[in-house]
Amino acid sequence: MDSVTRHFQDLDTLIEQVHALFDTWESEDYLPASMNVAMLYQLKIAVHEWLANLVQHANFENETTDVRLTVEPVEERIYCVIEDNSDGFVLDMHLEIEPEYLDSLPERGMGLLILKICTEDLLYQRSEFGENNRLEFYVSADQDQDAWLDTPF
Amino acid sequence: MSFVLEPTADPESVIVRIGKALDFRNAAEFKTVCQERVRTGARNFILDFSETGILDSTGLGSIFSLYRQVSPLNGQVVFASVSRPVQVVVQLTRTYKVFRQFPSVEAALEALS
Repeated sequence: MDSVTRHFQDLDTLIEQVHALFDTWESEDYLPASMNVAMLYQLKIAVHEWLANLVQHANFENETTDVRLTVEPVEERIYCVIEDNSDGFVLDMHLEIEPEYLDSLPERGMGLLILKICTEDLLYQRSEFGENNRLEFYVSADQDQDAWLDTPF
Repeated sequence: MSFVLEPTADPESVIVRIGKALDFRNAAEFKTVCQERVRTGARNFILDFSETGILDSTGLGSIFSLYRQVSPLNGQVVFASVSRPVQVVVQLTRTYKVFRQFPSVEAALEALS
């Protein structure tokens, strides 16, 4: 598998299209040899949570939606970039939220935590002019799952 | 993405066939249909994840909401036939500490009877 980039312009079908893409890669054995099933599902979860965030909360007002997904194997890890042309988010504060600040069995507020813990080297850059917001992260087989969400549950 | 709710021989127990996804797109519907069943006497919910490829944070939140609703009534929410993608979410989020899992709906029904 080489670096793959796909563009999506319909928010209403974005989730279905991306999952269909993953399903195609999985069924056609297109994924890199270094990517085990757990890594694939972690990648799917991370991408889904961010796209759900875009669909529900991003403001694409006065813009033709453009969401770009790039997936690239880098040594033993998977590098993923999701770019969009929304107004973006002020996200740093939210990514610093720790599980102990969540209520027990929370109904909302888990998405960014799940994204954070599923990934490594998570970085979000919001473009000053909103033309290219960029979320990037890695997924690896060595994810520290001991650090997972014990507290809320 | 509607859910299929099936009654059982026990009027307090309901099987919920989750289908392909429980996520931000249908979590509100899940809450509504389950709350309605609680109002009409259901206390135990068996969630059948055999066909489920997507369980996201909002979907999980809606299950927590159901759990909070039935727990004071001595009800239970249990998982059955958990698919691999859902199992990854369950492991990552440690929700196996809250929700008992069964290999099949039938095994869950037997345990709850």
